[in-house]
Order: sequence, then C-alpha cells, then structure tokens
Amino acid sequence: MVMSVINWFEDRQKFGGLIGAFLEEATRSSMTNERDRRISVNANKGLWARCDNCGNMLYVKFLKQNRSVCEECGYHLSMSSMERIELLIDPNTWIPLDEDMSARDILSFSDEDSYETRILLSQEKTGLTDAVQTGIGYLNGTLIALGVMDFHFMGGSMGSVVGEKITRLIEYATQRLLPLVLICASGGARMQEGTLSLMQMAKISSVLQLYQVQNKLLYISVLTYPTTGGVTASFGMLGDIIIAEPKAYIAFAGKRVIEQTLRQKIPDGFQAAESLFDNGLLDLIVPRNLLKGVLSEISGLYLSVPYNKN
Amino acid sequence: MQIAMESAVLPASVSSAEQSLCSVPWRLSKHGSSLQRNGNNMLAGQGLMQAWKFKPEKRRTNMHVHAMLKKSRRKTPDFEYPWPVKFKPGDLDGSPLPFLSRFKPLPTPPKPVPLPFELPLVHIQKKIQEIRETANTTGMDFSEQLSELQEKYDEVRKDLYNQLSPVQRLSVARHPNRPTCLDHVLNMTDKWLELHGDRAGFDDPALVTGIGKMDGMSFMFIGHQKGRNTKENIHRNFAMPTPNGYRKALRMMQHAERHGFPILTFVDTPGAYAGIQAEERGQGEAIARNLREMFGLRVPIITTVIGEGGSGGALAIGCCDKMLMLENSVYYVASPEACAAILWKTAAAAPQATEALKITAHELVKLDIVDQIIPEPLGGAHSDPLTTSMNIKEAILGHMRDLLKMEPDSLLKHRVGKFRKIGSVREGEQLDPRFKRNMKPRDAPFNESDQHQLQIPSFVRENLERTLTTASTPAS
Repeated sequence: MVMSVINWFEDRQKFGGLIGAFLEEATRSSMTNERDRRISVNANKGLWARCDNCGNMLYVKFLKQNRSVCEECGYHLSMSSMERIELLIDPNTWIPLDEDMSARDILSFSDEDSYETRILLSQEKTGLTDAVQTGIGYLNGTLIALGVMDFHFMGGSMGSVVGEKITRLIEYATQRLLPLVLICASGGARMQEGTLSLMQMAKISSVLQLYQVQNKLLYISVLTYPTTGGVTASFGMLGDIIIAEPKAYIAFAGKRVIEQTLRQKIPDGFQAAESLFDNGLLDLIVPRNLLKGVLSEISGLYLSVPYNKN
Repeated sequence: MQIAMESAVLPASVSSAEQSLCSVPWRLSKHGSSLQRNGNNMLAGQGLMQAWKFKPEKRRTNMHVHAMLKKSRRKTPDFEYPWPVKFKPGDLDGSPLPFLSRFKPLPTPPKPVPLPFELPLVHIQKKIQEIRETANTTGMDFSEQLSELQEKYDEVRKDLYNQLSPVQRLSVARHPNRPTCLDHVLNMTDKWLELHGDRAGFDDPALVTGIGKMDGMSFMFIGHQKGRNTKENIHRNFAMPTPNGYRKALRMMQHAERHGFPILTFVDTPGAYAGIQAEERGQGEAIARNLREMFGLRVPIITTVIGEGGSGGALAIGCCDKMLMLENSVYYVASPEACAAILWKTAAAAPQATEALKITAHELVKLDIVDQIIPEPLGGAHSDPLTTSMNIKEAILGHMRDLLKMEPDSLLKHRVGKFRKIGSVREGEQLDPRFKRNMKPRDAPFNESDQHQLQIPSFVRENLERTLTTASTPAS
C-alpha cells in the first residue's frame, strides 16, 4: 500500500508540470493536518520514506545512517527508542534494567477493547514491553543512567510501568551517584489506568526531589516530538538542563483542547520548541547529530566544578 | 445667592470676608474691598452700625458671579474595598480581620438546583406544595397526608443518596451550589487572613491562600476557589488556575515551611487552565515544580478533595501526607468527557467512561490513594454546608494530631513512601522474546562492578559515605 502511493507520487513528479506540483502540495498539506505531522519510518515496510517537512523522498538505509534526519531540510523524523539508545550509548556498554516489567489491568478497564488486549497488541506490534526503556551505559566514557520513552507504544502514554521503571532508574542513579538523562516522548497519561497514572507523576517527582535537591545530582531532560500532558507537567520540565530537539511539539494542554476552551484558532508554531525557547522555558535546542557530543560536554563541565563543598 | 460656594467661581480679588457677605445684598464697591475701609465709599469712615441706617440697595454689583459647574471629571473606577466607607460604632470592637476579606456572604441565597437523578424528589416536593396550598385556601386538614408524604420524601432521599452511582456522584461533585473552598475555610476557622500574589506580577483568583486559626493552632490554607454564581465563576476562571496561581501556592507553601504552619490544601478544580498565555508562561513547568518541591517541605501537609480533582491541576497542590476526600467528590486523570472523546471516539460515552475510570472516593480508597472518606450529610454537601465543614474539620484535626508528632525527616520519608507504593505492575516472569525484539538487550560484559568503580569521579568516591547518608537537607 505504501509502495503504491509512493510510486504514484514518483510518477507525478516525472510528468512534472505546475498542476502536478499543486496537487501534490494540496494532498500533502491535508495529510499533515490529519496525521498531526507524524511519520513513522518503518524500515520493515519499504525502502523509501518521505520527509514530512519538505516532501523529499529518502532512502531508508541512508536515513538511518543520518539518524532519521532529513538530508535536504534537516527535519527530525521520529526515532525509535532502540535507535536512540544506540545513538547515545557507547557500543558494548549497555545494561538494561527491568526489561520484563509489563502493565497490569488493575481497573479492568474496557472501552472498545479491553486494556489487556490493547497491551498485548501493542507489544506484538512494536516489539516493546512498554513505553520506556531504562538502563545504564557509558556515554563517551562517563557512566550515565538513561531512560528513553517511545511514542510508538500506545502513544507513549505514562502508566504504572513507565512510572515504576523511571522511579527505579532514578533510585539506582541516586545510590550510584550517576548523572541522569531522560528522553521524553509522550501523548500524556494512560487513561486506562485512571488515577494511578496521575499518581505516577507525583511518584517520579518525589524521587527527583531526593535525587536533585537533596543529593544535588545532575538531571538532563531531552524533549522530543511530541512531549505533552503529564510528562511535561512532571519530569519533562524538571531537568537541571532542558534540551529540546528542533521543531519538537512540547505542550501541556493539546492544541485541540486550547482551541475548544478559547474558541479561536491557534497560530502555527505556538507550542513548538522554538517558541518555548523564546519564552524562556528551555535551555537549549540541540539537533540530533550533536546530541551525544553536547551531553558529554555538559557532564564534563559539571564534573570539573572546583567548589563542591556543599 | 443660594448657589453652593464650591460651584460659584468668584473673582480672586474678593476676600473671604466679602464672600460671606455676598449672601446679603450689600452694595459692594468697585474694588470689592470692605465696607469700612475703602475711602471712596460713601460709608467710609462710619461704623458698620451707621451703615445699617441705609436702605439696602438693589443688588447691583459690579461683580459677576460665574456659577460654573466644574467640568465633571471622568472618575477612575474606585478600587472596591472590602471594608465599609463608614464604620458603625460596634464594628471595631471585635477582630478587624473580617473587614479585609472580599469573600462576603451572597446577598441572596442561591436557588436550589435539582439534579437529574433527583426528579422523584422534585415530584414529591411539588405534591407536598400543592397539598399545602389547598390546605391554606380551603382550610381543610391535610396534616396526615402531609406527614405521609414527608416520610416518603425522606425515605426516597435516603435510598437515593445511599446508593449513588459514579455518574450521580460526579454530578453532585459538580453541583453549582456545592460549598467552595472559602465557604469551608470560613466555617472551620476562628480567624482568617487571606494572602495574595505570587510576587512576580500576578494574583490568580482561581487559587486562594491564607492563614487561619483552628482549634488554637494556625494553619496555611491553600485551595482552588470556584464561584458561587456565574459572575463569580468568570472572575475565578471556574477554578482553573494559571501558572501564576501555582507559583503563588508554592510561595505560600515555602513561607509556611519557614514559619512552621502545617499546610492544608483543598482541591476543587476541573483542571489547570488551557489557554495561550498559560502555556507561554509555562503551565507544565509550574505544576512540575510544585510537585517536586512539595516532597521537600518539612511541615505536615493534608489534602482534602472537596469537589472535582482534575488531573495535574489538582495534583500540583495535592502531594500530601494524608489524602482525604468528601464522599461525593471525584479525582480523575482526565475528565470523563475528554476520556470518552479519545477512547470511545464520542463524547456521548461519558457515563461509561465515568464508570470505567474509577474516580469516586470509595474506589480510590481501594487503590490505596485516599486515606479517609469524609461523610457528607444526606442530600450532598450543598444541602448542609455547615455540617460538611465540621466533618472536614474533625477529620483534618484527627490526622493532624498524628502528623504533628512526627519529626521532619520521618515526615518526608513517609510522604515519599505514600506515593512510592501507588501503581501496579506485572513482573517476575520472563516475557515472550517477540515482545522485546525492539528493546536493546544487554551488551556490556559481565564484570560490571569493576566498570562502575572505574568511572565514578574521585572526589565523589571520597565523599561517598557523606553524600549517601546525608539526611534531607533543606531544599535549596
């Protein structure tokens, strides 16, 4: 299905002409409005992917080598959590934590499908046990505690498993005095777990209090596309240094909710990383190619503090 | 001249003495000087008594009085002070604090609003009313029927309110006449002083803070404030705080810690405000900071959910040592309407979402989130606000007595522990490798202890014991 659509576009380009370009532009903008500008680069499905920003066709193999960044326009396409770990962690140094933790249907929640069915389907489809991978590894020679959220698993929603895994990671980092890096990508709290998901926000913030304030250790949060809801309102915005990827969508209330509340159209780029940067809510915007280097330099700067007597 | 003196504009040369004489039709000299002193005057040199002999002349003066009304200056609207312009004699005998509170009782009591599930009660009430009217007009005795109907009313009411479903409890929690935070606080406290502002440019009306005295002890009260009628609701933004409100709450909580006030928070909000300015000012960051800082406050914190508890907006003042909920209040992660729209794809599925999300007090006690349910009087809190407030006060003071005995360090550990155990996961069994195919497996060699030792910086390793055993230091 994907191949045929791509072929159709390629044919159009071959024939060229203003009409073709105009139609392509029209279809592309309607597609982006529906799909919220997300494109999953699925290496299993095809050899070609399409950049959402510039419409350029990208050969998947080269795209992966370029860390899922479009060569033409620099747009950061979505990246799976495994790829992110490989991006940041030195080879042969990764030790995962809590790999076999999975969600429990504590409320016996059932909308169109039961929660249990949804979990199994997502696990099957994405090859992930839940929406976060945690572990420790070396980043350019410094041991760090790393947690990476993945938007592909149920929209990156934060439930008990995400809360528990991240809490345990932070407790481990507190004991071993490791710097902490959390890469956030989430659609919000997992509604199927009700108020339990809400309390995960408090749980993670409580261990961050012990980690950051009482033990004075370094926590860097990296916000990627998209970071919304409960994650923004808890550990996403609590980093000592907050880094965002270019054009990441970072929000507390989603666009639709704001439009419904205010009954007016929201300007484009309102909740983009660049806009938050201008409003003083972020420290840095770092492109993916530089991320590993920047994190390593930052931890180097913090390690060479001369007056650590407090 | 009967014109009021302030509106008459007299020439500047007229002295005040003559101004007072103007009411009498004396002839004034051209120069407007006094009667006796002016040499040109025919009365000059003669005493005033002599002057009386002359008939008063017709009022023909050279003086033109311009009775100009001052141009009415457009008054800037006066700041509405909560104290009266004139104090009555007995006002200043007692405490002056009530004069500082803008939260006065409503001029007219609120109209009773029956909820959909209370329709049978409404019917019975109407029948009772009709019978009373006929009794009044005809004079016949209907007391037997009346008492029968009254009994039936009470019974139906008891049955209804003892078995409320989650959807019905949600509608009671959202009832327009439900007592608000300030209603409860003013009922519970002997003295109350509301404090304002986040010291950074704003004073959010949706979140009220202040100091109150209850049972001889002073507490810091913080809570979401809904309005009691539409006008107040608009002023209070329907209890949806902006980042400014959360920063105000944080300032008050840190102030309370510094001085030793235990903190009592009251949650009653549909959620944090979703607006453009709220986002620009960092709504997420304000909530996150509150969450983190509350776990470092070295004073007891008790949270009472008195209405709706809306997600992060409620949790930002709800990280507590003890969580109490009124019987008919709710605490949800996403409003049932939003949940229905996302998961069921239609807002009409809100009742199903309400049932599925398990948002009522009884269900949350089972999940170990809520410590105690505070009973409401029959008919809901709106039918008897005073009793509800007294119930809340009793519950709070009961828990506070235990918390006040704890040392700060153990208080903090207890608070972290309360939230640490919330959540339920499945682990211990090896999962199907298919479900882990996109998770990066371990690729570090297996002598991990050496590797860890190698890279911990030396100064950290030297101070290892000191930093690990550092008990909670004051939050920086």
